[in-house]
Amino acid sequence: MRTLSLILALLISTPALAVIRVDINSGTAQPLPVAVPAFATASAVATEAGTTTALGAQVASVIAADLGSSGLFRPLDPAAFTTTVAPADVTAPQFAAWRTIAAQALITGNVTANPDGGITVGCYAYDVFSSEELARQGFVTTAANWRRAAHKCADLVYSRLTGETGYFDSRIVYVSETGPKTHRIKRLAVMDQDGAGHRFLTNGQSLVLTPRFAPNQQTLTYMSFANNRPRVWIYTIGSGHQEAISDTGNMSSSPRFSPDGATLVYSISQNGTTDIYKMNLANRSVTRLTNGPGISTSPSYSPDGSKIVFESDRSGGQQVYTMNADGSGQQRISFGEGRAGTPVWSPRGDLIAFTRLTSAKHRIAVMRPDGGGERLLTDAYQDEGPTWSPNGRVILFFRTAAGRGGKVDLHSVDLSGANERQIKTPLDGSDPAWSPLLP
Amino acid sequence: MTERQSLAVVGLAHLVLLAVLSLALTSVTPPLPAEDPTPVDVVTLADVPKIPTPPKPSKAAAPEKTVEATAPPDPTPPTPKPEPVPTPDPVPTPKPVKPKPEPKVEPVEKPEPKPEKPKPEKPKPEKAKPAPKLLDAEALSNLLDKSLPKAKVKPLDTSALAKTIEKAMPKTARIDPRATATLIALIRSQVAPCWNPPIGGADVKKMTVLLHLDINRDGTVVGRPGIVSQTGVNSGNADYARAFAETARRAVLRCAPLKLPAEQYDQWKAVEINFDPSDMG
Repeated sequence: MRTLSLILALLISTPALAVIRVDINSGTAQPLPVAVPAFATASAVATEAGTTTALGAQVASVIAADLGSSGLFRPLDPAAFTTTVAPADVTAPQFAAWRTIAAQALITGNVTANPDGGITVGCYAYDVFSSEELARQGFVTTAANWRRAAHKCADLVYSRLTGETGYFDSRIVYVSETGPKTHRIKRLAVMDQDGAGHRFLTNGQSLVLTPRFAPNQQTLTYMSFANNRPRVWIYTIGSGHQEAISDTGNMSSSPRFSPDGATLVYSISQNGTTDIYKMNLANRSVTRLTNGPGISTSPSYSPDGSKIVFESDRSGGQQVYTMNADGSGQQRISFGEGRAGTPVWSPRGDLIAFTRLTSAKHRIAVMRPDGGGERLLTDAYQDEGPTWSPNGRVILFFRTAAGRGGKVDLHSVDLSGANERQIKTPLDGSDPAWSPLLP
Repeated sequence: MTERQSLAVVGLAHLVLLAVLSLALTSVTPPLPAEDPTPVDVVTLADVPKIPTPPKPSKAAAPEKTVEATAPPDPTPPTPKPEPVPTPDPVPTPKPVKPKPEPKVEPVEKPEPKPEKPKPEKPKPEKAKPAPKLLDAEALSNLLDKSLPKAKVKPLDTSALAKTIEKAMPKTARIDPRATATLIALIRSQVAPCWNPPIGGADVKKMTVLLHLDINRDGTVVGRPGIVSQTGVNSGNADYARAFAETARRAVLRCAPLKLPAEQYDQWKAVEINFDPSDMG
């Protein structure tokens, strides 16, 4: 009797076998250790850019540098690798060997010479601990263009492992500066996102400012003082064709393309006021969007093209405003200490980057399009002129060092305010603009 | 002499400057040709030795949940319903510790039709106390060893029949909540340091993923942990959701083998781990 009741009690009090459940609410925000061994090649074939073996090593180092620069990955030192990658290993990696050096992701691939003299770069990404293939893609291009194939591979890896689009296969246009402050020579220059492939677009005879990419990455708009008439120009990179687009006799400045590339928005200074206009590039018709008082300038479209953010001093100091693309609904969105200028809408649409100006410092900041959630991202003497990476995760800007003749150079910072880096340029650099991802 | 020389130099410099300036004034900057970017063609690489496709687990699991979990900001309202039904005893515990643990749990509960799972969670509030990361695994298992005998005592002093039944029964049943809490803390202390959530992502704070692990006696994980459910997934962030879920799986695989008390194997041979970064900076 007693045993029976005990059994009964046991049965009743025993729930069905329940699986233990553990809640994990914290982790470590550390970059992901990634191994990028030299890409394999079946046989060394000479190309116009070196042998495929040499290219395999170079491709790997560009990928590693790209991933490392994001701050989200930590490329492991190749000196620590316990194995090299033979052609057969590319599709069947020796995961155990990569586990021993604590690599969590393995990026590998191969470089093959094509009959036409070009190359195919095969790019593979693996999860080392689960021994899974995460992504693979081939890139066919000329041998000389191997860097872009490497950037595309890095973008593939970045997007597969972070879930966000990459930004490595992109370019930067900026104003290269040299000479004393009083006789500054300013030239337009473009380079790859990582500083490679640097070249000048103008020869410095006339002052240039605020270069910006069109969505097609092949057209630039900027302000030039050519012929001593400050106005907005359009430059086609492939042909080198240049054209002044506003010829009203008034000064035009701070141009920027609409997201569809069909419209140019810029400002015109006239009778002591500066207002924002837009031009239909197909028929050159011009529409005025703001109507004083004071200076309204630095317009930038929202990614859907429905709104424009700009700066204006109509309320006294320089502040950030938004309006509909037809000029209606103008409202101030920046408040807080000091002034705010040079706003740029994020390609994601959820944030606006701008320069927060106080008497002591100029700093890069972001806020929501309604003006809320302001965050300062940098804290140096003078940072200004933000521009977004194509994926909206990194902001590039220029920094002027304190003191007379302070050096001016390009820096980048994460949206989180971390991972600040200098982008090396041959001379001083200012006014950068990041291109969209290349096709 | 030197004065004359320097005068001459200055004069020359001015001339040059004038020339340069007048040039700048009269001619539009001649364009320096720059090439179009050479195209890169994307090709699909032939399938070679097929390795189990990774997307399947997450894709299959993630998008489905999308519908259920779309609203991340208001996990509180739905909570009341599911809770009262399955949970008779946990009520007191959640309150004292944190209000936060609750919302996290709930979104996960919804997708699960079984009421049994939520129950084991109840001890959580207790876990919260031992949770400190400094947790020493050995000290904990010592603790466990002490608590175990107590639990055993009662059933043991009965008849042989009771013993047989006891043997046949899942040991889980005999383990008191404190031991469970300790076990949970042990697992958490080993997995959390290996978790590297993608903090930078826009939606990270709204996302959670629940993994199911089958664990071998040696603490290694059987196969790849499966995704039971995932919250915070919407039509726009499927790629991100997949990457997020994979960080959780990577944490588990990287931390294995887990060091857990062997005598309690029945209790930890299958475990569910919920990864929730909403509290992370």
